[in-house]
Amino acid sequence: MRLAFVLGEIGSGLRRNLSMVVSVILVTFVSLTFVGAAGMLQMQINQMKGYWYDKVQVAIFLCSEGSTAAGCASGPVTAEQQASLNTLLESPAVAQYVNDFQFESKEEAYNHFKDQFSNSPIVDSVTPDQLPASFRINMKDPEKYQIISETFSSQPGVETVIDQRQLLERLFSVMNGASLVAVSIAGVMIVCAILLIATTIRLSAFSRRRETGIMRLVGASKTVIQLPFILEGVIAAVIGAALASATLWAVAHFFLGEFMSQQYPDTAFISSGQTLILVPALLILGASLAGISSLLTLRRYLRV
Amino acid sequence: MIRFENVTKVYDQKARPALDAVNLEIDRGEFAFLVGASGSGKSTFLRLVLKEDRATSGAVYVAGQNVAKISSWRVPRLRRGIGVVFQDFRLLPQKNVFANVAFAMQVIGKSRSVIRDTVPEVLKTVGLEGKEHRMPHELSGGEQQRVAIARAVVNRPGILLADEPTGNLDPTTSMGIMGVLDKINQNGTTVVMATHDDDIVNEMRKRVVELKNGIVIRDEARALYTSMIPVVGQSRRLKDASGREAPEAGLPGEGEGQR
Ligand SMILES: Nc1ncnc2c1ncn2[C@@H]1O[C@H](COP(=O)(O)OP(=O)(O)O)[C@@H](O)[C@H]1O
Ligand SMILES: [Mg+2]
Repeated sequence: MRLAFVLGEIGSGLRRNLSMVVSVILVTFVSLTFVGAAGMLQMQINQMKGYWYDKVQVAIFLCSEGSTAAGCASGPVTAEQQASLNTLLESPAVAQYVNDFQFESKEEAYNHFKDQFSNSPIVDSVTPDQLPASFRINMKDPEKYQIISETFSSQPGVETVIDQRQLLERLFSVMNGASLVAVSIAGVMIVCAILLIATTIRLSAFSRRRETGIMRLVGASKTVIQLPFILEGVIAAVIGAALASATLWAVAHFFLGEFMSQQYPDTAFISSGQTLILVPALLILGASLAGISSLLTLRRYLRV
Repeated sequence: MIRFENVTKVYDQKARPALDAVNLEIDRGEFAFLVGASGSGKSTFLRLVLKEDRATSGAVYVAGQNVAKISSWRVPRLRRGIGVVFQDFRLLPQKNVFANVAFAMQVIGKSRSVIRDTVPEVLKTVGLEGKEHRMPHELSGGEQQRVAIARAVVNRPGILLADEPTGNLDPTTSMGIMGVLDKINQNGTTVVMATHDDDIVNEMRKRVVELKNGIVIRDEARALYTSMIPVVGQSRRLKDASGREAPEAGLPGEGEGQR
């Protein structure tokens, strides 16, 4: 009975304040979308880190058919050149900086490439010949990249030495910057959401002061009096959170999954399934935003 | 049932106390009038009983309990034992008579079947049989006050507080309301009614507690609105030609005594 009563009160409250409720929904929707976007960027960074980071730090690409670098004047790398590079890597002067290294043949590079972009159309257009063979070096200290670079750049048969970690880090710092921006916008929007929820609850409490006054006098408990107001805000915020979740899923599914992976086929994007991890977090965040701001408001405006 | 021990209530440090060292005991089953001009402290007395406000000093006991010692989460239980009616009825305009009375039961979690059985019974007690489905605006003032009384007593409180319940009603209707309150009192409920309606007090011949500037200046059983006993050292209030008190400033919006 009390539950039915509380539900009925929530229903009438939502109807009475429809325009305010809609604005609460929209503000939480936008703010949580930014929170979720920051989350998605971090997931994307982790996705790329997980694949790349500790696998490769420095790559020595060897000359192949079309190489134009100075060291490649004599054409594709020869077996002797490759053997001497291998020896150099194992020599104490270099080995002290190296954890381990691997040779990746054109064939392996191709398989690797295929695994990574299994669902991307670019795989069909690439042949093993187009991918250079390389030495993949795992550094003891990534900061010592310069030493490897100086030692190997000028060796015959070496096209280029790339610190892949630096490349990735530059990208990651851009993405981290973007997620910081998203978090800042989310922060501002969350403040808006909290204030708006507080105002909505206050209006709602004001428009129902007659009822709550009577409830107080006949001895209704604090819970019965306040719960409808709190749940009103929580329901609106949860709807906003659900909309934000749906938006993020749609972005991952349609924008990243279909559009971006065609535009940038050589990047592994997060899947729409992965964004579902964010859903409970957003729902809980939305509900607690509303819950906390309405509790604080009610303490001031709805005396019991 | 209600006991005030040296109760003082100060709202505003600069003004005189609204209640000044009031000692008073009202027994179970009693019917007592609180009389006095506007601003004499009648409503303040009732609010202290309800723990709507805290006494500045002294102790208020309701059903043997010191209300100052009741923790805030148990205040609702105190209030379930006390029914209240006001001059302005305070009905919910969008609910019909039945729903207005049922509201008081719903919010404390009474079951639908109990509500269905109890509400018509109470409406019969206050003389509103067959008007369950009327909306408040379809009722006369007297009928609206009866609905308010029904709502106040539907949970069978031991105490009924009435703050100028006849303040907005004409004399005949007022006597009808008094009949209802008397009937409720006869069923065992302690009734405390604040009023400055002399005709009613004179008609009922109940206990009269007279307040003036927050001080109890008279407490008399089976009394009249004005004392038969000359009060030594107290100047009598001025009466205007109609025999009523000259109005004094009350709370804003209270609009008392407009008959
Ligand atoms: N909430 C309040 N704040 C400040 N002063 C108040 C408040 N309520 C009542 N008073 C003052 O206390 C005195 C008693 O008021 P009240 O108890 O309402 O008298 P009555 O009901 O007999 O007219 C008056 O002087 C009034 O102005
Ligand atoms: Mg009053």
